[in-house]
Amino acid sequence: MARRALIVGTGVADRIAAGLSGWEIERTPGAESLDLVVWADYPAAACAPCRLTDLSLAEWDEACDRPLRTVIDLACEAYEALAANSGTFVVLVPLMASAGGAEYTALASLGEGIRLLAKSLAKTWGADGITAHSITLDPHAFLAAQDAADIAADNALHDPPLGRVPDDTDDIAPIIEWLASGNAAPLVGSSLVVDGGLWMPG
Amino acid sequence: MTRLLTDKVAIVTGAGQGVGEGIARALADAGAAVVIAARRAENGKPAAAVLRERGHEASFVRCDVTLETDVEAAIEHTIDTHGRLDIVVHNAVSPPGPPGPVQAVDPNVITAQIATSTTASYLFARAAHPHLAANRGTLILLTSPAGMEGSGNLPVYATVKGAQRGLLKSLAREWGPDSIRVNAIAPVAWTPAMTTATQANPTLQARLEARTPLGRIGDPETDIGPVAVFLASDMARHMTGQTMAVDGGRYLGL
Repeated sequence: MARRALIVGTGVADRIAAGLSGWEIERTPGAESLDLVVWADYPAAACAPCRLTDLSLAEWDEACDRPLRTVIDLACEAYEALAANSGTFVVLVPLMASAGGAEYTALASLGEGIRLLAKSLAKTWGADGITAHSITLDPHAFLAAQDAADIAADNALHDPPLGRVPDDTDDIAPIIEWLASGNAAPLVGSSLVVDGGLWMPG
Repeated sequence: MTRLLTDKVAIVTGAGQGVGEGIARALADAGAAVVIAARRAENGKPAAAVLRERGHEASFVRCDVTLETDVEAAIEHTIDTHGRLDIVVHNAVSPPGPPGPVQAVDPNVITAQIATSTTASYLFARAAHPHLAANRGTLILLTSPAGMEGSGNLPVYATVKGAQRGLLKSLAREWGPDSIRVNAIAPVAWTPAMTTATQANPTLQARLEARTPLGRIGDPETDIGPVAVFLASDMARHMTGQTMAVDGGRYLGL
């Protein structure tokens, strides 16, 4: 029987879904059992450069607070379905959440918040057989090409040692599959940085 | 304490009690005029009165940090009353509710935690920016070790405290050219919530202290406050985008 994944979001989420061959893919919550949940539903308002002082309260809410609430609610809603299959909860996080990014305050707040949510879920859901992780991706996964290049320059990121940044479908999706497999069982609450070596923190 | 903040003006949110009040006292002792911003006048007014009794310049402004109008009025009060604004310390946060997994958290607690943490940080940053830019000022956010290592018992609290760290790092990059520094403090200290928790669980204090290399829980005024003074002063003029864990060594691996 095919394993079932809930993939939330567009853009990078679509590309991840395309890489999960052989999986039964759900795009909206509601399934009674799930082996995997992947959240990457960053609103367009968060992924366009804008100084904080130019954001209205409504824009801040749309770019940060509302999606932050949505992913918390998703975790609550998905708990029973993940517990039914000892599933895995994965959030995809832009590099700016951990490294900072001028003109991306809302995106960084949202991303770092859900990274800590994943770690927190892992601490209690482990007893129910559920694992939770975050994967930090390079800016290209979330931003328009020129905006991503600007952030790479502003943050003085390395040129990727392998000569390319990871492909969401061919490189990231298999890592998510591995996280959802029994082979990754000892890995709990991890924050993986899969950016092709752009950042190399720590 | 050395008067590192003479002629500076600070506003501290959630300063009617706990860590906020301790930081307000330390900033005032260091020479700053301090605005006590608090939602409850019954806490905020006495906190400001204590500072004045100690010979400091201080005032109280009632402020619900989740309301745009209150935040803008608090900044306006600061300028009207004290003439300038150099230091913003956003400490206020709503109670995290009882410990438990995310699926057991009261939805109203989630709403309030987001509003007092990310929304309020955004509101204070936006409203204070012109004044901080004019004075090469500083913004200090109070986060938590939970915002770095996560928390199984307080997952929403850990989420919003993590979100504040994402904000501060990006804002540090964004406001660097304006010569505004943005940093955070992650304390473990005596707060009303900590006092309530230790009273409810008689063994909690001993367990926490046993896990802390320095062997005690921090005092808001004498342990946490001086770090806020340092971050607000020119001593830290080349520091931005950082989170200082002030926890007696409790979380060495962060």
